[in-house]
Amino acid sequence: MAGSENSVTVHSEWMEYAPLIILLPMMSFAVILFLGRVFNGHPFWKNTLKEGGLIALPVMAASLILSLLLISEFLKGHSAFDSLFETIPWVNTAVWNGGAATDSVSLGFGIYVDHITVMLLFVASFLCLLINTFSIGYMNTDPINDNRNHRFYAEFVLFCSGMLGMVLADSFLWLFIFWELMGLCSYLLIGFYYERPSAASAAKKAFLTTRIGDVFLVVGLVMLWDLFGSLNYAVVFDTYNIEQVAAHSAGTLQWALGLMFIGAVGKSAQFPLHVWLPDAMEGPTPVSALIHAATMVNAGLYLVARMFPFFGADALHGDLDDLAFIIASVGGITAVMAAAIAFVQMDLKKVLAYSTMSQLAYIFTGLGCAMYLANTLDWHHDKDAHYIVIVAFGAALFHLFNHAMAKGMLFMASGSVIHEVHHAHHHLHHHDDHGDDHGDDHDDHHDDHFDAQSMENMGGLASKMPITATAMLVGSASIMGLPLIGGFWSKEGIIANAWRVAQDDPRFFLPAACVLIGAAMTGFYMSRMWFMTFAGKPKNEVAAHVGPTNTWIKTPLFILTFVTLSSIILAGMGFTHWASDTSYSFLSERTLIEGIVYEMDHAFLNSDAFFFILTYIAIFLGAVVGPGLAMALYGGSLAEGETAKPWMRPVLRLSAWMNGRFYFDNSAFRDSTFAIALQNRLYIDEYYDKAMVNIVAGFSNKVAEADSEVIDGTIKSIESGSQSLSTFVRSMTTGSARDYILMVSVGTLVIFFLIWGMA
Amino acid sequence: MSELTVVEPFGDGFVAALGPELMLFAGLLVLILLPNLGRGTFRIPGTQIRLPWLLGGNRFKLTSDPRLPSWIATITLTAAFLNILYIFSEGLDRVAIMTESGKEILLVNGFSRVFELIFFGALALASFSSMNRLAVKGSGSKLSEHELYNNRRQGDFYILMITCALGMSVVALAQDLFVLFIGLELASFSTYVLVAFLKESKAGVESGMKYFIVGSVASGVGLYGLSMLYLWAGSLQFSVLATHFATSGTTALPLIGIGFVLVGFGFKVSAAPFHFAAPDAYAGASSPVAGVLATASKAMGMLGLIRMLLIVAAPESSDGSAVWLICFGALAAVTMTWGNLAALGSQNPKRMLAYSSVAHAGYMLAAITAIGAWNWDAAVAGDAGTAAVAVLTALLFHLVVLVAFKLGAFLVLSVLESEGGASSLSSLGGLAKREPLLAVSMFIFMISLAGVPPMAGFLSKLLVIMAIVRVAVGDMGSEIAAGGAFDVGDFHWVWWLALLMVVNSAISMFYYLRVVVVMFFDQPEEGREGPLPSGWQVRTAILLCVLTTVFVGVAGNGLLELCEMAANSLNYDW
Repeated sequence: MAGSENSVTVHSEWMEYAPLIILLPMMSFAVILFLGRVFNGHPFWKNTLKEGGLIALPVMAASLILSLLLISEFLKGHSAFDSLFETIPWVNTAVWNGGAATDSVSLGFGIYVDHITVMLLFVASFLCLLINTFSIGYMNTDPINDNRNHRFYAEFVLFCSGMLGMVLADSFLWLFIFWELMGLCSYLLIGFYYERPSAASAAKKAFLTTRIGDVFLVVGLVMLWDLFGSLNYAVVFDTYNIEQVAAHSAGTLQWALGLMFIGAVGKSAQFPLHVWLPDAMEGPTPVSALIHAATMVNAGLYLVARMFPFFGADALHGDLDDLAFIIASVGGITAVMAAAIAFVQMDLKKVLAYSTMSQLAYIFTGLGCAMYLANTLDWHHDKDAHYIVIVAFGAALFHLFNHAMAKGMLFMASGSVIHEVHHAHHHLHHHDDHGDDHGDDHDDHHDDHFDAQSMENMGGLASKMPITATAMLVGSASIMGLPLIGGFWSKEGIIANAWRVAQDDPRFFLPAACVLIGAAMTGFYMSRMWFMTFAGKPKNEVAAHVGPTNTWIKTPLFILTFVTLSSIILAGMGFTHWASDTSYSFLSERTLIEGIVYEMDHAFLNSDAFFFILTYIAIFLGAVVGPGLAMALYGGSLAEGETAKPWMRPVLRLSAWMNGRFYFDNSAFRDSTFAIALQNRLYIDEYYDKAMVNIVAGFSNKVAEADSEVIDGTIKSIESGSQSLSTFVRSMTTGSARDYILMVSVGTLVIFFLIWGMA
Repeated sequence: MSELTVVEPFGDGFVAALGPELMLFAGLLVLILLPNLGRGTFRIPGTQIRLPWLLGGNRFKLTSDPRLPSWIATITLTAAFLNILYIFSEGLDRVAIMTESGKEILLVNGFSRVFELIFFGALALASFSSMNRLAVKGSGSKLSEHELYNNRRQGDFYILMITCALGMSVVALAQDLFVLFIGLELASFSTYVLVAFLKESKAGVESGMKYFIVGSVASGVGLYGLSMLYLWAGSLQFSVLATHFATSGTTALPLIGIGFVLVGFGFKVSAAPFHFAAPDAYAGASSPVAGVLATASKAMGMLGLIRMLLIVAAPESSDGSAVWLICFGALAAVTMTWGNLAALGSQNPKRMLAYSSVAHAGYMLAAITAIGAWNWDAAVAGDAGTAAVAVLTALLFHLVVLVAFKLGAFLVLSVLESEGGASSLSSLGGLAKREPLLAVSMFIFMISLAGVPPMAGFLSKLLVIMAIVRVAVGDMGSEIAAGGAFDVGDFHWVWWLALLMVVNSAISMFYYLRVVVVMFFDQPEEGREGPLPSGWQVRTAILLCVLTTVFVGVAGNGLLELCEMAANSLNYDW
C-alpha cells in the first residue's frame, strides 16, 4: 500500500485543477470578508447573498465537484499517483548558504493522492458543502448573528481550505501548515460569539490544548526530517529510504512517530488532551459539526493513518509494535471514559461531543490494531496476512467515514432541534413581537436563562420535527452500530480486530475490552439522547410549541440520512478493501450483490467460532443492553394526539412498553460520587487548572521576575552605557574641518603602521 | 563565461561594448542643450539679417519647463539602467578596451556591470524624486510652485547627477589606477557640488565646503600613493601592479603607496576615522543627494577597495594572509562600532542615517577583511575560491539592496524636507496618522536596515555574516558539518568580526526602531498636522524602493544569482 511501491504518475486534465480545490475556498475567504463589509449596508445584497453564505456555497460545490473528478480519475487508475503536478517551489535554502546548491534544502507544495486522500477528500468536501447549506438555514435566521455572518462564512471557507489542503498536501510539512491553519480557524470559529466570556475562554482552551499536541508534533516532524532529510511523502515512504533509516535508528523513528501521535491526540481530542472539545460547543452549531465531523478531529486520524507505511514496512518489522499498542490503548481508554461522561450530560451538544471523542477513540483503536498487525505479520508475502491487515486498516478508515457522516448529521440535527427550541422559547415568551423573530432585541438572547441546548427542555419532539427526528434516529443507530446500519459494518470490524490482536499480544486485552464495553455504553447514551429529546411527553411548555424546521436545514439531513443508510452498499462494494489498499478497487472482487451477501455472511455467520460469538456479544451489548436500559429509563409514548412517522412508531411504542415494564429508580447511581465525578468530567479540567496555576503560573512569575531584573536590567544598563558612549563619540565630530583633517591624518598613520606591522 | 573580446578605443565594437555609458553621454549633451533652446537669433555681422538659431533668447514653453532637466536625467539614467538589465538578460560579453600598445584601459564584465546597476539605479531614483523637491531658498523653506518653476539652476543639478554617473561608471570599468582616479574625481567633484547645491542655506554651503576640503585631502593622499605606486611599478595598470606585487609586494614603496590609496577610498566609503565629514555633508545636502552619497558613492568606494585589495594587493600573493588584513580588521571593527554608537544618540534623522551608513560601511569592510583572511594555500585553493566568492557575493548583494532601503529612507525624509522638517526626529512625529503609507514605508526601510526578516536587509546581512563565518571556519567546515568536535579557538579571528556585527546589529535596532516609535506613537509637532506636500514622483520612487525591499527579501534568488555571477567574473580575473 505504500505509495512508493506502485505509484504511477498518471496525467489527466482534471489533475491540473486539483490545486483549485484548496485555492477556491482560500480566495473566497478574502472575497467574503471584503464583501461582507460592503453588503452589510445594502439590505438587498445582504439578503440575496445570505451575508456571504451564497458565495461560499458555490465555492464549496465547486470544490466538491473538482474533488469528485479527481477521485473518479483516481479510481479509474486505482493506484496511487503522487505529485500530480510539478511541485511549486517555496523555500530554497540555497539562498542562505551563499548560493551553494549542494547542501541546500528546498521545500515546495505538491499534491499527493492515494486511497486515504481520496476518502478524506470526499468526506471533507462533501460534508463542508452540506454544512454550508445547513449554515444558511441556521446562522442567517438568528438575529444575534445579524451583520456578522460574513465573518462566519469567511472563517468557514478558510477552515475548509485548511482541511482540503491538509488532505491533499504531499508532505508532512504542508500537512502541518494546513493543520495549523485549521487550528487558527477553529479558534476564530469557536470564539465566534467573542462577547461571551465562555466562548472566548473555550476558544482559548481549544487553541492552547491543541497547541500542546502541536509542539510535540513539530518535534516529531523535526526528528523525522533529521532521519530522512525531507518530509515529503514520496521520500519518507520510499522503501529504500525506510530501510536505510531502519538499519540504524528504528528506535528514533518510533519516538518521532510517537511524538507526532501526541499531536494527533491533541487534534482529535483523545485522553489526556480531550478537554477542549466539550467546551468547543460554545461555537455556533455548524462549527460543531465542522469541527467534529468533517475536519478538525479527523485531521488527527488522518495524520496517524498517514503513518501507516512505516508500520507496514518490511524493514521495520516488529519495531513499532509498542507505538501501535499506545495508539490502541489511548483509543480504548478514551472510548470508555468519554462514553461514561456522556451518560450524565444533559446538554444535547455535549452528549454528541463526548460521543465524538468516544467514536474517534474507536478509530484510534482500530488504527492501532491495524498497525500492530501490519508491523508484526509478514503481510507483504503472505496472502492471508495481507488480507487481515488491509481489512483491519480498512475497518478503521471505514469507521472514520461512517462516523463523519453520521456525526455530521447528528450535529446538524441537534442544531435544528436547538434552533427550533430556541425559536419556540422566543415566541412563547415574547408574544408582543410575535412573528418578528428577526427583531433586534439582542439583549434578550443574552439575558434569559433558558437553555435551549438542555435535553431537560425537550421531549416528544418526534412528531413536531419528523425529518430531524428520523435523521437523529438513523445517526444514533449508526453510531451505536445497530445491525445493518452505517457504523455497524466498521465497528464490528474494529472490535473483531482488537480481539484478534489481543489473541496475539495479551497487552491488547486492554483496548479490546474497552471497545467491547464501550459498545454497550454507546448504545446507552445515544439512545438516552434520542429518547430524552424525541420520545415521551414534552417536558415543558416550550417543547410543546416547537415547530418544523426550514428547508436549508432539512436538505443536508435528508441527504445524510440516505448516505448513512447506504453504508451497506459501500461495504458490499468492498470499501474496507480499497480504502486500505490500492491493489483493490471498487467491485474488483465481487459484484455488488455478491459483496453484500459476502459481508452479511462474514458479519453474522463467521466461520471462526470465536468471532462468531464475539459478533453476537457485541450486537447484544450495543443493540440490546444499552438501548434497553435507556428505554427503560427515558422511553415513553408521545402526548395525546401527536403521531410520529410510521417508521418511528415501533421504536416509540417499544420504548413506552419498556419504560412501563422495566422502569427502575436510578437515583442511587445519579447521586453517587461517581456520577457527580462524571458530571464534573472526572475533575480532569480542575487538575489541569490547578497544575496550570501552581506550576506554570508559578514558574512564569519567577521567569517574569528574572526577566525584569536580570534581562531588562542588563539591557537598560547596556542602553545607558551606549548612550554615554554615543555622547562621547559624537563629541569627536566637532564640526570643524580642521579636526576632520587631523583625524584623516591620524587614520593614515594608523593604516600605515598596521600594514607595516603585517609586512 | 564568454570569451574576452578585445576592442581598441573607438574601434570596432566600441559603441556596442559601452552602450550604457555612451547613452549617459548622449543624455548629458541633451541635458545641456535642450533646456537652452529658445527663439535666439544670430545677426549676420554688418547686416540687419537675423537668422534663427534656436539657442538662447526667449525659451520655448517646453524647454523652459523646470521639470524638463529632471525628466531628461531620469530617462537617461533609467535607460542606462534598463540597458544593463537587458544586457544581463541577453548574456554578457566580456569586452576589454585596450590601447594599441596593449594597455588595458577599461574592462566590461559582470562585476562592473552590477556596480553600474547600483550607480544608475540610485541616481535615477534620486533624480526622479528630486523633480519637485529641489528647494530654491535652502532646505528650510516651503516650496511654492512659482519658486520652483523659475529655477534656472534645475539644469545644473541634473547635469551633475549625470556626470556623477559617468564618473562612477568609469570607476567601475577602469583597469588602470589612473583612469580609475579620473573617474573617481569626476564623480567626487559632482557630489561636492551637489552637496553644496543649496548655496543659499548656511548648512548647505558649510557642509559642502567641509566635504570638499576633507575629500580633497583624502584624494590628495590617495594621489600621492598613486604616484608612489607608479614610481615603484612604472605603470598603473592593475595587471602590472598585481604581477609586481606578487614579486616585490612587501617592500616599503608599494606598501606606503597602497596605504595612501586606501585613505582615498576610505573617505569614499566613510570608514572611520575618515568619515567625519559625512554626517555633516548628509545633513546639509538635500535628502536624495544624501541618499546617493550613502549608496552609489559608497558602492564606488567599495569598488575601489575591492579592486585595490583583491587585485592589486591580492591576498594570494602573500604568504598566509594578506598584508592589509589586520589593518582592515581594525578599520572594520572601529567603523561599525563607531557608526552605531554615534547613531544611537543622534536626534537628526539625516545624521542618524549617515552614521548608520558608516556602520554599514563597517560591515562591508568586515566582509572584505574576511576575503583577505583566507589561507591562500594552493592545496585548498579551490575552496578558497568558493569561500571568497561567497563573501563577495554577499557584499555585492548588500550593496545592491542597500540602494532600495537606504535611499528609500532618505526619500521619505525628502518628503518631510519639503515642508521644512527632517532635521529633527520630532518632525517625524505622528507620521503614521498624517501619511500612513509613508510611515509604513519608512517602517519597512528601518527594519530592513536593522536586518529584520523578511526584508532584503535581513537577507543581505545574514549572507555577509554567514560568508564571514564560512571563511573563519575554513576547512573545518566540513568536519563540523559531519558532526565533528571543534574549538572556537581554532577559527580564524575574523570570526570575531562576524560576532561584532551581530552585536552591532542589536545595538542598531535601538535607533532604527526609535524612528518607528516616533512615527507611530508620538503626536505630530505643532504646525505639522495634516498630509505632507504632494509629489507623485517621489512617492512612486519610495514605492519602488519598498517593493524591492520586500520582494528581494522574500525572493532574492534571482538577484543573488546575478551577484554570484558578478563575483565569479571578478574571480575569473584574479
